[in-house]
Amino acid sequence: MSDAPALHVEGLTKAYDDLIALHPLDLEVPAGQSVALIGHNGSGKSTFLRMVAGLLDPSAGDVEIAGFDLTEVEARATTSYLPDDPVLYDDLSLREHADYVSRLHGGDGWDDYAESLCERLGLAERIDDLPARFSRGLRQKSAIVLALVRPFSLLLVDEPFVGLDLPGKEVLLELLDEVHGDGAATLVATHDPAYVDRVDRSLALRDGEVIFDGTASVEQVLHLVGG
Amino acid sequence: MTVEQSAAVLADLRRARRKQRVAAIHWVDALYQVYVTGIVSVVIIVLVSGWVGDGDVSAGALADVRDHGPAVMGLLVALAIFSGLRAGSRGGPLALEKPDVRHVLLSPVDRGVALRGPAWRQLRFLTAVGAAVGAVAGQLALRRLPGNPLEWLLVGAAFGVTVVGLGFGCALLASGLKLPGWAASLVGGLLLAWAAGDIVGSLPASPTSFVGALAIWPVHVDPLGAAGPVLAGVAVLVGMRFVDGTSLEAAERRTALVGQMRFAVTLQDLRTVLVLRRQLAQEKPRSRPWIPAIRRHPHWPVLHRGVRSVARWPISRIVRVVLMAVIAGLSLRGVWHGTTPLVILAGIAMWVAALDAAEPLGQEIDHPGRTDQFPIERGVVFVRHLPITLLVSIATGLLAAAVAAAPFGDGVGWGPALVTGVALGMLAACGAVVSVVQGAPDPVDTLSMVTPEIAGTRTVYRTAFPPALAVAGTLPLIAARASVRGIQDPPPVPAAVNVTMVLTGVAVLVGGWVRFRDDIHGFMAEAAENMSPTKAAERMAEERRGEEEREADVLAESRRIAGLDDDGEDQGAGAAKRPPSRQARAKKPTAPSTPGVRGGTSAKPIGRRRDQK
Repeated sequence: MSDAPALHVEGLTKAYDDLIALHPLDLEVPAGQSVALIGHNGSGKSTFLRMVAGLLDPSAGDVEIAGFDLTEVEARATTSYLPDDPVLYDDLSLREHADYVSRLHGGDGWDDYAESLCERLGLAERIDDLPARFSRGLRQKSAIVLALVRPFSLLLVDEPFVGLDLPGKEVLLELLDEVHGDGAATLVATHDPAYVDRVDRSLALRDGEVIFDGTASVEQVLHLVGG
Repeated sequence: MTVEQSAAVLADLRRARRKQRVAAIHWVDALYQVYVTGIVSVVIIVLVSGWVGDGDVSAGALADVRDHGPAVMGLLVALAIFSGLRAGSRGGPLALEKPDVRHVLLSPVDRGVALRGPAWRQLRFLTAVGAAVGAVAGQLALRRLPGNPLEWLLVGAAFGVTVVGLGFGCALLASGLKLPGWAASLVGGLLLAWAAGDIVGSLPASPTSFVGALAIWPVHVDPLGAAGPVLAGVAVLVGMRFVDGTSLEAAERRTALVGQMRFAVTLQDLRTVLVLRRQLAQEKPRSRPWIPAIRRHPHWPVLHRGVRSVARWPISRIVRVVLMAVIAGLSLRGVWHGTTPLVILAGIAMWVAALDAAEPLGQEIDHPGRTDQFPIERGVVFVRHLPITLLVSIATGLLAAAVAAAPFGDGVGWGPALVTGVALGMLAACGAVVSVVQGAPDPVDTLSMVTPEIAGTRTVYRTAFPPALAVAGTLPLIAARASVRGIQDPPPVPAAVNVTMVLTGVAVLVGGWVRFRDDIHGFMAEAAENMSPTKAAERMAEERRGEEEREADVLAESRRIAGLDDDGEDQGAGAAKRPPSRQARAKKPTAPSTPGVRGGTSAKPIGRRRDQK
């Protein structure tokens, strides 16, 4: 399975009654490739990511992750999803969250890497606090820790910079580069045109259809999405 | 990750979370809630038990129970299966926490292990509720039917558990197999129709009738009744087997809505509960209305808006209203034949239907910003919404009347049935309007500061009054029945009409309350504020200042008449002590009174409008 692409999508479609949120989409992301997903609000970026993450049922089409069908446990073990709305338990501290998520994925729980992530994101003092008492930005940083604290070879990131301060944004960009450097494929949906300079490939969506797939400059992106 | 490893990690999580939750529990509050719940439950059971005191049924009626009881109880079973299949096709019956969906179900743990735990816990709770409700229903049946109390208690509880098991198992199965909504409705609907046909006698015995036979075991033991609990057990086990197929999309949507709905229930915000339930059921208005809009400019825009709203009712809402009318009609038949407590079922069914009829008014309440922009008082706008609510509700009442008087079995006479249908529809509309308009209790309310017992009584009153209004709509039928039994003089129809006239007065009062509710609230809020100790102290201080000013003026006048000069040492000291004159204070510049929201001081209600103080 080592030669299998990180993500293979064929005819993936999502429709809500008569509204088509994503037209049939074919896509292949090789292992280790970094991809930026760009487009307006409602262009289908989040819908696509949530379907690949397994949170939305496709209306049609197939998704394979590292050669495994999306419904297989191996696909879930391989994919990490960082949503734009941090979802955290009210009754677990940040340390307990990280410990729990790591163990769910077969890890040893809270370790040095988790601790270093918290330090880099400025959460070192809040490790034993309940995220329910965190601000929006701190919750987003907690979600970043949970997405990275477990093993994966495909990272799906939806609007990662929302709610982050400038240092937090810079750390996240560094972390995404490191993850990419370690060989994981990344798929990042963003409104930030500058991000396309850091990735191998850009994919532009408009009204649920792919309008560009390749290497794009910031100017091209602004032209494509009308920014 | 193996099943054992998954189970171990999840067990650790549950342990950690339980520890945090137990630490956060306020034990006094929890015990107090148990105490209040216990008292309310006992009061309800005693009241309802006392009400079912109409004496033993006749031999003929007992034969009817033996012949038709299983089919009638089977209808209840079919309804549970229908509801279960529908809920399952929408991702139910599990209401998971959102973090569980995101972290647990997206991780490589066995989904069956992750989902069966919450499923068993939910089933355990529902089974306890089903057993309790069944046992109480058994005790109520004992008041009119032969048998011993223990038999009725056990059989009632067993039947309650069976109904819950079948509904829950079917829901799990539909959810696990991702049964489409239309298929769930089709299968459940066919079963429901078969059960209904069995009652009427036009179809052969429905399978649900065999399950229903268990419910009347104290009257007639049919061994086939034992199949019910077995079937329920099988349904639950099969459902548990397939639970890992639950759609995460449906689970996440359900998770968010159920959480909001629980919060709305704690706030007693019925309107929000209704809206969320519709979202949960994915019940959306039709984009293409059943009837086209009139082209010319309507004379009565509010009424026209209401008609447009009703014209967009989805088919599921129409089916629900018709079903409620049928339930109300069948209940009226039962009342007519002596089972008086069925007035509660008839009233509640009609009230539920009327809540749908009050949707245009509910939309107005949901969007106060828009309503406030109209150049008409809110109360007037609300009153103009009442005709459409009344019309739809009375039409539903007439449908219930038709079911009550339908020529099968021994129905109600057409005259009393139609009069009762009108009254029931009218009063159900009143109940629904009160429910919708009263909304959730104010977050800052002086009465909420009183003892919990008084506040609790008020809560019960707020909750029970609207359906009680609808139940009052069955009084014409009671009057007509009394007339038929020779208890009172006028013939049945005039007796029913007389009561309906009185009830019309109640409807007019409700209309008046809707029109002048804001004024009444403003008046009561002002009265309450005037009675507050802070306000009383401020008033006394003002009076004291006024008295001192008058004395100072009199003194100054006396000195002037006596020819004493105002200058001098004494005068200076006096001026320093004397408060400024009324005129001087009147000239003091003050901030202009501006309309809008005020708040922030402990003595004043937060968020109340200045013009409503």
